[in-house]
Amino acid sequence: MRASDLTALWSERVKCTVAVEYVTQTELERRPTIAYGTVVDSAGTIILPSAAIDLRISPKQIKDFKVYLPGDPEGYPAQYLGRDAYTGWHFVRAGASILGRLVPVTAFAGSGPPREPELGELVWGIGLRNKDEDFTPYILQSHVALIQALPQQTAIAQQEVAGPGLPVFDQDGRFAGLGASSFGQTFLEFSGDDRGGAPIMLVNLEESSAFLVASEVLPYFGRIPKNVVGRPLSWLGAYGLEPMDREVAAFLKLQSQSGAVVSEVLEGSPAEKAGLKARDIILGVDGTPLPRFRPDRVVVDYVERLIAVRSPGDTMTLSVLRGADRIELKATLADEPRLVREADRTYFEKIGFTAREFVYGDAVARHARTSELDGVVAHLVKPNSPADIAGLRPDDWIKEIDGAEIPDFASAVEKLTEIEKDPTRAETVFLVSRGGDTAVLRIKLR
Amino acid sequence: MAAVALLLAPVAARASMSGGFDRLLDSVVRIDVRELNFEEGVRRIDASIGSGVILSQDGLILTNAHVAGPKSVEINVTLSNLERVGARLVGWDHWTDLSLLRINLDDAKRRGLAFKHAEFGDSDKLYVGETVYAVGTPHGLTRTVTRGIISNNNRYFEDTEGVDGYETGNFNTWLQTDAAINPGNSGGPLVTEDGRIVGITSRAYLGANNLGFAIPSTTAKRIVDGLVRDGSITRSYVGIVPKALQDLEGFYDVATNTGMLIDSVEVDSPAAAAGLRAGDIVLAIDGRKVDGRFPEQLPPIENLIASQPVGSQLELTYKRAGAESTATLLTAKLESRMGEEWVSDAWGIGLRKVSRAFARENQLSDDTGALVIGVQQGFPADVAGLQRGDIVTKINQVPVDSLDVVRAVDAAYSAKPGPTLFEVQRERRVSLIVLKP
Repeated sequence: MRASDLTALWSERVKCTVAVEYVTQTELERRPTIAYGTVVDSAGTIILPSAAIDLRISPKQIKDFKVYLPGDPEGYPAQYLGRDAYTGWHFVRAGASILGRLVPVTAFAGSGPPREPELGELVWGIGLRNKDEDFTPYILQSHVALIQALPQQTAIAQQEVAGPGLPVFDQDGRFAGLGASSFGQTFLEFSGDDRGGAPIMLVNLEESSAFLVASEVLPYFGRIPKNVVGRPLSWLGAYGLEPMDREVAAFLKLQSQSGAVVSEVLEGSPAEKAGLKARDIILGVDGTPLPRFRPDRVVVDYVERLIAVRSPGDTMTLSVLRGADRIELKATLADEPRLVREADRTYFEKIGFTAREFVYGDAVARHARTSELDGVVAHLVKPNSPADIAGLRPDDWIKEIDGAEIPDFASAVEKLTEIEKDPTRAETVFLVSRGGDTAVLRIKLR
Repeated sequence: MAAVALLLAPVAARASMSGGFDRLLDSVVRIDVRELNFEEGVRRIDASIGSGVILSQDGLILTNAHVAGPKSVEINVTLSNLERVGARLVGWDHWTDLSLLRINLDDAKRRGLAFKHAEFGDSDKLYVGETVYAVGTPHGLTRTVTRGIISNNNRYFEDTEGVDGYETGNFNTWLQTDAAINPGNSGGPLVTEDGRIVGITSRAYLGANNLGFAIPSTTAKRIVDGLVRDGSITRSYVGIVPKALQDLEGFYDVATNTGMLIDSVEVDSPAAAAGLRAGDIVLAIDGRKVDGRFPEQLPPIENLIASQPVGSQLELTYKRAGAESTATLLTAKLESRMGEEWVSDAWGIGLRKVSRAFARENQLSDDTGALVIGVQQGFPADVAGLQRGDIVTKINQVPVDSLDVVRAVDAAYSAKPGPTLFEVQRERRVSLIVLKP
């Protein structure tokens, strides 16, 4: 291929890439983050890789989305649409003013079914420089070295081929896949400060040598979430799936069968209602045995994706090994209980902490009964605040305030607001639970 | 001149501090201990040096639990005349960091070895500022005497893993001294000028200047009696974690110097069964008023509870939300967080049985399983991916409710090596792992 041909292809395809900046605003700080995205439709919908936004952060705390076009220093307002649980992608929509300057990547998908890349094939992709270089686009090029199911078909090239979340093309300019996130190359650099010159491991987060092949991404560009949390979220409630390796399968006389061990079955979950038990080994779903992956661990993602692709109300038949018995269980998936990132929170400036609603996942994390979601969680404790000095720690579960039990978030807020309003107040006493033990904390307010 | 001479004469004539002190010096011993450890997944012998003091002519020696304990496989004592003689463990009590040994008397007699013994003083009568001496083997320097004062005679500290991973300090307060205490002093006596034992030096803050701690003789005497009588100290357990009430009297509306705050009630404990809750104020135990205003007042209260016979009924008067009530607790036996330890040479793995206290501490559903405390590199357990901190819950599908289960499978494996299935819990994740020869 001639360099001039590549340049022509590149200049057209750069238009389907953008950088997205957003701000995470917490009680104590405002922190900007930049991610790369690909335009997937003519409405200006952009997808960002899963790792672009920390899932622990409440959607209410991420704001001020801006889209930057390659080489243009101007940021254009955009809207966050939410995250799709199945693909893990975050969806963002660009404003109308720049629609004319965007080209969806589907324009380069060609006709007919997507082509699978071949081993040794030369592919190329796009990278974007940093903000201080106006996100100037550049070309990356490499040969495909390996294609593996992880569990999605993933092509691994000899070198970096694209920024994570940015597209990869074949020599004819046809869309070949999307740069994978969390697949950054690691490299060693020898420290200049250290006299011994100890090597430091660095990770290249801005470029990736792996990409999900086109057939794994093209069908899902339309999965735009209905809301920022991505609800409904289908949920089984089998906690801590662990892969069964080949040797264990052989020991259990399962030949080369793949499987996933269930560590715990969550209280009130569809899995519990279906009769699944802790330590059951899931061998198949809907009559199909689980395929074997390399490494074995991938089978866990595979099962989790089988759940995520379904909707609440859908059924899932599990073939399970329990002791020496094989059992078929039919589970009806439900909408996942309220997540930590959806939980209500309120910051109390005087006491110096954020109270957060205690949700299902909090109870699971604390080995507590999930049917009684009382108390609130100390989500953030401001350094050197009265709460901090009294020994309150993030993730403490506040069960009582001033000797009274806290039935729910609203009553905690009411009580704490009252405490903060009273200027004569000298102290407040919390009973907190931490690691199964409790502690009485006296918070001095004056 | 005469007055000066008079003053000088007795000083010149004195060749020692007192007869009692000389006797004490002759009763302090150096203790060399060889201990069996499994922490690398292999049988490893560790050697250490400590101090001790002979208490009687039948050869009882008092030292620290962290000097000699159940893991000690060889104990040698160096007497003041530099003769060496073997000794064995009579019993230990990690809660107070005390161990009692007995000299091999047959051997001593056969070799005609003589030794002296020291006498206890009364630690309750010590005053802050009183001169005391520590005698021991710091850094192997046999029979070193250091001098200081009692810096505090009622110091509180407790440590969940303070004695080789065992709990310590809940049932006694400590003497604090500025007499130099260094590694190797452990187990040696802290004495007054007349040579009477008022404490057993146990620990010091490393990196600090002269902050040393000793177990008071009042506590030591009680423990020695118990160990001589039973070989161990049995205590009652109720599952109350107390906290000093300091500054909270107003909030709970109790008079100053009244009551002990319950900071936590342990799950499935007698206190939980009796309906006690965190935030309750214990006012009296079996009618005896308690005062837990300051931290150093807590160990005596805990000791009062622990001293009841196991299975006895304890009536607690407590205050909750302004109202007083009573609860009757049935005490259980106090158990340590450390379980039995064992090593499999074939698999290269050191295990410690999960105890009820460890299960509670780590929020495990029950005490089934054995904690991996060491893995030997290149051996089957390591190759299969077992790690320190994993809990082995089943072997060949049999629940590990005692180490006998593991020993039986290990014996079968040693006789005829073959794949063995381990069910392992890591954090909260359960995995299956096959160990192969």
